[in-house]
Amino acid sequence: MKLLYILGSIVLLSLVVIYYKFNPEVYNFFPECPFHKYLHLDCPGCGSQRAIHALLHLNVQKAMGYNLLLVLSLPLLAVQLFSKAYAYFTNQNMVLGFWYNPNTPKIIFVIVMLFWIARNLPYTPFSYLAA
Amino acid sequence: MEDQKPQEQAPFGQPPFGQQPFGQQPFGNPAPKNWLVESILVTLFCCLPFGIAGIVNAANVNSKHAAGDYAGAQAASAAAGKWTKIGFFVGIGVGVLYILFFVVLGLGGAMMGNYR
Repeated sequence: MKLLYILGSIVLLSLVVIYYKFNPEVYNFFPECPFHKYLHLDCPGCGSQRAIHALLHLNVQKAMGYNLLLVLSLPLLAVQLFSKAYAYFTNQNMVLGFWYNPNTPKIIFVIVMLFWIARNLPYTPFSYLAA
Repeated sequence: MEDQKPQEQAPFGQPPFGQQPFGQQPFGNPAPKNWLVESILVTLFCCLPFGIAGIVNAANVNSKHAAGDYAGAQAASAAAGKWTKIGFFVGIGVGVLYILFFVVLGLGGAMMGNYR
């Protein structure tokens, strides 16, 4: 398990370096989402690579333009990561009760679906959500 | 650590199998892993809508567990894990294939350059 964590952090670190150094808008060796490639529609994850590049350069506003949902989910994911790390280092079995509330996944599902639909609408207020 | 094991294996006061402990809410059993965070990560970072299936199954885990249907919650947990893993590995697979394709094309191009 420990080896897995070490390997995982090496992979993560190299990905961070790659996404920091190369702008996915300029270099074409970044994988393109098959959903976008064949259907020419944005999925909820489209724009993530550019958003990560922008975030690594601390340009939050630009990142929001690429994928608003990704940026909005970051605080939540940071809390989860922190609690996981805390549980790992203190050897405590800590689970955030929030994730096990029956309404949490439903709300997240509705948000993701609305985001998916809205970012594909070609009208002015929604087109800002497009990747 | 070793000499403490027997105590951990047999907690006393364990309710009989299949029976809800008296005076306790269905939360007596810990909820099975609902894969919600992992599905969100797959949805947002893997570029594939498999994560949505994971989120739907996570909703099933939570509502079934809250209703006291522990077996149903476990089945939903297994389904959520399955969809999340499919999304994760398909995402990684597409990425690796794309990069392999790029490398092969690049090498081919370099070789062609030598032949000319």
